[in-house]
Formats: sequence, structure tokens, C-alpha cells
Amino acid sequence: MSPLLQVSAVTKRFGGLTAVNAVTFDVAEGEILSVIGPNGAGKSTLFKLISSFLRTTSGQVLFKGERISDLAPHKVAQKGIVRTFQETTIFKNMTVRDNIIVSHHLRSNASLAGYFLGTAAAKSDEAEFGRSADEILGFLGLDEIGGELASNLPQGHLRALGIAIGLATNPSVLLLDEPFAGMNHDETMRTVDLVRGVRQRGITVLLVEHDMPAVMKISDRIVVLNFGEKIAEGTPQQIQNNEKVIEAYLGSEDDAIGI
Amino acid sequence: MSRSKQIIGVAAFLFGVFVLVPLMIKLTGRWDFYYTLTSVALLSIASAGVWLTFYIGRINIGQGAYALVGGYVSAILVVKYGVSFWLTIPLAGLICGCLSILIGLPILRLKGVYFAMVTLVLTEVAKLTALALPITNGAKGISSIPLPGAISIFGLTIIPDFSQLASTKLAFYYLAVTLMVLSYAGLYRLVHSRIGHLCRSLQQNEELASSIGVNISYLRVIAYSVSSFLGGIAGAVFAAISQSIYPSSFQVADSINFMLNCFLGGLGYVFGPMLGTLVLYFGWDLLFTTGKFQLLIYSSLLIALMLALPNGILSLRLFNRKKAEP
Amino acid sequence: MEQIIANGLYLGSQYALIALGLTLIFALMNVLNFAHGQMYVLGGFVTYTVYAQLGLPFIVGLLASATTLAVVGALIEKFLFRPVIRKSHREESTMLLAAGIAFFLDAVILLVFGEKQRGVPKIVNGVLNWDFRIIMPYDRILICVLTIFFIAAFIGYMQYSKTGRAMRALAQDKVAAQLMGVNVARYSMIGFALGAMLAGLVGGLLVSITGVNLGMGGPTSIKAFMMVMIGGAGVISGAIAGGLILGMLESVGLSVLSQYGDITYLLIFVSLIIFLAIRPQGLMGKPWG
Ligand SMILES: Nc1ncnc2c1ncn2[C@@H]1O[C@H](COP(=O)(O)OP(=O)(O)OP(=O)(O)O)[C@@H](O)[C@H]1O
Ligand SMILES: [Mg+2]
Repeated sequence: MSPLLQVSAVTKRFGGLTAVNAVTFDVAEGEILSVIGPNGAGKSTLFKLISSFLRTTSGQVLFKGERISDLAPHKVAQKGIVRTFQETTIFKNMTVRDNIIVSHHLRSNASLAGYFLGTAAAKSDEAEFGRSADEILGFLGLDEIGGELASNLPQGHLRALGIAIGLATNPSVLLLDEPFAGMNHDETMRTVDLVRGVRQRGITVLLVEHDMPAVMKISDRIVVLNFGEKIAEGTPQQIQNNEKVIEAYLGSEDDAIGI
Repeated sequence: MSRSKQIIGVAAFLFGVFVLVPLMIKLTGRWDFYYTLTSVALLSIASAGVWLTFYIGRINIGQGAYALVGGYVSAILVVKYGVSFWLTIPLAGLICGCLSILIGLPILRLKGVYFAMVTLVLTEVAKLTALALPITNGAKGISSIPLPGAISIFGLTIIPDFSQLASTKLAFYYLAVTLMVLSYAGLYRLVHSRIGHLCRSLQQNEELASSIGVNISYLRVIAYSVSSFLGGIAGAVFAAISQSIYPSSFQVADSINFMLNCFLGGLGYVFGPMLGTLVLYFGWDLLFTTGKFQLLIYSSLLIALMLALPNGILSLRLFNRKKAEP
Repeated sequence: MEQIIANGLYLGSQYALIALGLTLIFALMNVLNFAHGQMYVLGGFVTYTVYAQLGLPFIVGLLASATTLAVVGALIEKFLFRPVIRKSHREESTMLLAAGIAFFLDAVILLVFGEKQRGVPKIVNGVLNWDFRIIMPYDRILICVLTIFFIAAFIGYMQYSKTGRAMRALAQDKVAAQLMGVNVARYSMIGFALGAMLAGLVGGLLVSITGVNLGMGGPTSIKAFMMVMIGGAGVISGAIAGGLILGMLESVGLSVLSQYGDITYLLIFVSLIIFLAIRPQGLMGKPWG
């Protein structure tokens, strides 16, 4: 079976800086794959390349064998590859539930004119989105705060809302950029369970994360980047014992990593 | 607000504009008020367009350009090609809408101050173009535009010939107010449908909106062309009322005023621009008695308002937010 | 050909000096100064009063324009922009304030100087005629030279003086500049005064050639916006490039397109839109989100 997503020799240069350098790996359907690496290794850039928010300098990304690089971001989202952001990115001046409802855009059957006129399709869409939003709220344990204004949420809930927005689009691949950032241990463990739940919904998950214990716990496979290059790929166990990886992390003087 | 309250509010408003105001004017004999109120109605249509561009997160100071184009389109069609004025209203709107698609596709990628600057330049360019083109007749403009003719279907006169009427002022008042009610009803529907929801998502975070699959450039252009459509029809009716249009009929100051109307009325509220136009226009009119100090006092008040309430707009948004929570 | 280039340079240098003031204010405070054109007009009227009415030397008029506008600029920054910027969270607020100030200056100019076109006696007589290839009155040449001198002086000031360096640091990164101990409030005020002063200076220079009237303010602001967009907002080299390019385009347009009526600006605007579609940040501007 061919892989769901193929990242093939993808390179991104910003002026003189090569942020991502000829990175190649595959993602199989239904797996949880983590991309790790020291700060500035190019992880977020890689996600932006996959979701087509940035154009590749060379190389390409294939989804189900079809080239998706160079498509507009919303087209890539239509294909089912949806990204959440490293910075807390939500619609600040909407309620939590409205954030999720609006994110059902890709599931609409009615046209814009239909929504304006209030056609039957539009009405059924709106009812359906409301139902689905409530289901997602329940799934992520956010039911209590559905009416809360998103900008008032604490950090942990913001991350969950980010995932909820991603789920609302009904993706086949969800790219999560640092979903555990700013969480304490308990919150992280709860979110790890959530991400597993996401996979159970039939969604393939790619995530970038610095929290090593969580990464080791959750990932089926791990890709390691350093200075834009892939230096290792394998199961959590293989990665933990990989010389190059240990060296990269020690060299980075980043003691928060904890390997 | 409950449904029944809403209906009562709308009915009261309609009764007020269509019955009460004409009645009051008749009783007091202040016929000049018709002109003022007609202007307010038309300007508030153009301001509604500006408000819609605000709603997708763009500061639009170019509405004067579309009002000018709308005015010229209607005037030229009526005077040179003998097209019925009534037909030129939607045509002016549509031509402005199409024009704004061409202009909007590139410039809507700009944000904040940059978009504001380009649109401001657009107003000036529209004026210079009107001065330069042969069809617009340069600085002399187009004058003595005939009054709107009659519309009849199957011999039944729906709208009488304006030149046969005892009071064209009243007729134009009804025309302008009807258009205003229709425009705001449309805008209200738009904003309270899912389209409005999507527009808000653009306003708050374009990047996230595109990552949930919204075609942001398409939606932006749609909103901008609706906005320009409103500017165009307002301009068309304005030309018909003053029976003339000149390059200076709508200029930079008008574009800025459209923007001010929206801010003053509040950006979080569909009927804000209507209120803002009314207040600003009447304020300006009241200051007329101060003669040459009119502009000085008006601008001083504006500055004072900004100093006192730099977030006057925001306070309205807070009010809206509270309503959003159950 | 030579004539077109000479005219373009003459226009372009004035434009560049106007754009420099606007871009400086934008770079320091992120404020789009709608009132820039009105400041230019005010400068023109001050020189007119000093030079034509009081009969003092032209250079005194220029100095008076520069000083007046510097003071006006400083006051506007301190008492209007600073409080509004501090209290508001949205960039629209400063835009509205700037629009209010533009109206206000218009009103003041109207009350004090009236709405008539005013001119002053020529500062030098005679016309340069180089083989009929370039024909240009000496006063224009003098103004052009002065303008270029002022541009050079401004660049030198920004480059080498302590104040100039502080302002550049502030424009680059406000937070970092603050950490380095740059007094933001003080340099914002100086920057605004300097930007207003440049506008007044150009007004004073040009009154000797084109005269001045109330209606010139708005169109001048618009031209300054175009230059800033061409060159890239908030960048000094961009303002100069934008000014020169607009001057050249206008000069070419006026000589080549004059028989088609005045569609120069329509064409310039269309080109600007196409250009911005390809390069939204302008020629020299930094890429932004
Ligand atoms: N738009 C850009 N222009 C120029 N350089 C960029 C841009 N975006 C990222 N970079 C650079 O590319 C490199 C990789 O950045 P990236 O954000 O992908 O790192 P990261 O692995 O996500 O780091 P972190 O763990 O801190 O999130 C960095 O050196 C960064 O400065
Ligand atoms: Mg990152």
C-alpha cells in the first residue's frame, strides 16, 4: 500500500538560510508521527510547507500520490490536510462554539448565495454544524465553556480549542504544532489521550513537540530534524538510542529537552 | 432580543421613516428637511458598504470612487443613451461591483494602513479620471440630467414620472429611504447568515481561516464588491437628485466621511453606519450657522471625540460580546 | 528626452522630500499622517507671509516655515497622537485622529490665510537654455538644488547624529530600542516634528514656483502615499526612490500623454496596483504578513 503522505526531498531557503534541506519521509495512514528537533531546526517551516502556507524551494509533497505543493492553502485543506498553529491561533472574538461552527466550512453543502437566501441546504448545514460542534466540544471536554469568549480561555483550553478547530474540518491528516506547549504534566497527559482519540476517529496525526516524554509515549514513529536536515527516523526506542540525535540535543544547549 | 421585539422594532422604524417623518415635515413646513434626510439615507447606503469592508478587516477609504463611478454611469446612460433611470440604478451598482473585482483582487492582499492608503489614492484617481476622460465631459461634468421617468407594467403605473409630481423632494425621499431599507435589510441578512460568520473569521485571523479551508481571496473580493455595489447605487441616485454629476461630487473628504460614519456608529453593529451618518450629517448641518467656523468646530469636535474615546468603537464591541454570551 | 529627465528630477526631488517626512512619521509611530499635505500647505503660507507680505529675505521665510511646522508637529504628537496611541488598541484610531487633524489644519489655514491662490515674487530671474534640449528657469534649478541639499542633509542627520541613530533604532525595533535605553516618547516627538518640518520646508520652497492654495493639501498627501507605497513604507531609501519614480513618471506622462488628456495618474495608479500585486511591500520595504 502506498503511503498517505509523501514528503520528498523538500527544501526551503529563506535568502541565504536553508530552513529545511532535502527532507524525505513517508506518513502511513492512521499513524501518529512526531517531528522533533532543537529550536530553529525547521519543524514549523516543514509543517507550513506540507500545508502549502509556504512554497517549497524544491522538492514536493504528495498526498495519495497527488502533488499538493503549490496549491493554495485552502485547497490543501479541502484535500484533507489541516494544520494547527504553533502560536495560539483561534478566532479571538468569537465564542468557543462559534469557533468550531465556523470551522465546519469544508463540510458545507450550500453555496454562499444559499446561505444568504436561507435555502433548505443551508438550514440543514447549519443544524448539522451545530450538532457536530456540540459533539466535538464533548469529545474534547469543552462542553462547559462553549459559550465562553475564546480570548478569555486559559492556555490549556486554547490548545484544545485549536485541536477542535482542526477536527471540525473533518481532516484526513491533522498537523499539530506543539499541542502540549505551556501545559503542566496533568494537562499534557490528558491531551496525549485526546490525540490518541483523534487517531481513533480515523485521522492521521503529525505533530511537532518538544515535550520528549509525551512524544515517546504517543508516537508510532519519530522524524528528527537538526539545522533543517533529517538526521534520524524510527520508532521511539530507536530514536532514544540514536547517537546523532543525542549529540544534536546536547549540542543545542537546550536543557529543557530532557533526553 | 426576542423575535417579536425585533419585529416591533423594525415596524416602528418603517412607520417612522415612511409615515411619521413626512407627516412631521408637512406639519412643520420644513420642506428642506427632505433634502437633508434623503442625503443621509443615500450616504448611509455608501457607508454600509464601507462598514462591510471593515467587517472583513479592511479599512476602506475608497468608497467615494465607487459613488462617483456610479453617479457617472447612471448619468451617462440616462443622458447619452436614453436608458431608463430605474434600470441604471442596478447597472451602476453592477458596474461598480465588477470594477471593484478587478481592483480588489490585487489590493485586497494588502492590510491595515497599506490597504487604507491604496483606497484613498483610488478616490483621487477616480476624480482625476473623471476630469480627463471625454465621456465624463471633464470639469464641466454632466448636468441637467432629466428626472426619473415613470414605470408601468401592463398599463398600470407603479412609479409616476417624477417631473409630473407636485413634490419631487418627497418622491426622492421615498426612493432613497426605500433603497436604504433594502440595503440594510440585505446587509443584516448577510451578516447574520453564515457568510457573516465567515467574514468575521477573516477579520479575526485570515491565516487560520484559510487553514480551515476558506477561500479567503474569494470571500474578500465578494465582500468588497458588495461594498462597491452599495457605493455605486448611492452615487447613481445622488446624481439623479442633484440632476448633475461633477468630478468633485465625491472626493477624498467624502471617502473619509464614509469611514468616519462607520467608526462613529460602531463597527460591531449593522445599523451603526446609519446612525453615524445621521449624527455626523446633522452635526455638520447644525454647525452651518457658525459660518466660516463650521469646519474648525467640526474638526475640533472630531479630535476631541478621539481624545475622549479612542476606543469608542471598541466599547460597542464589548457591548456586543456581552450579548453573545447566554 | 533631456528635458523630460530634468523635469522628472525637479519634481522627483520635491516629492522625495515630502515622502521622507511621511515615511519617517510612519516608521517611528506607525501613524499614517493624513495631514501631511496640509502641513505642506501651511509651510507655503508661512513663507508667503514672511517673504511676500513682510518683505524679509526668502531664506528667512524658509526658516520660519521649518520652525513653525516643527513646533506644530511636536505639539500634535505630544498632545494628540501620544494620548490616543496610549489608550487605543487599534490602528484605525490614529487614522481617524489624523483625518481630524487634516480637517482642522484646513480650517485653520482657511481662517488665517483665506482660500485664494497666493504667489510670491520670483527669487531669481532668467531661464537656462541648453541648446533647446533643456529649458529650465533658474529659480527651478535653485529649488531643485536646495531640495537635493536638504535630502542629503536629512540622510546625513539620520545616519550620523545621535538623534538620527536613535530614531533609526526605534524604527527598526521599538522594544529592542526601549531596552537599549532609547527614550521612545522623546524621539517620537522629535521624529514627528522633523517629519512635519520637512513638509513645511517643501511648502516654503515651492511657494516660490507654484504658489500655494488651500486645495493643494489633499492631493499632496495622496501623492505622498503613492510614493511611500512604491518605495515601501517606513524605509528612507524607499521614500527617495518612490519620490523620484513618481516624479519621472509624471514628467514622462505630461509630455507623452498630454494629447490624450490628463490620464497620467490613471495609468500610474493602474501600474501601481499591478506592481503592488507582485510586490506588496514596495521596492525597498521589508516583507510583511
Ligand atoms: N519567514 C521566514 N523568513 C526567514 N527565516 C525564517 C522564516 N521562518 C522561519 N525562518 C527561519 O527558519 C529556521 C527554522 O524555523 P522554524 O520556525 O521552522 O523552527 P522550529 O523548528 O519550528 O523551531 P521552534 O522549536 O523554535 O518552533 C529558523 O532559523 C528561522 O529563523
Ligand atoms: Mg516551531
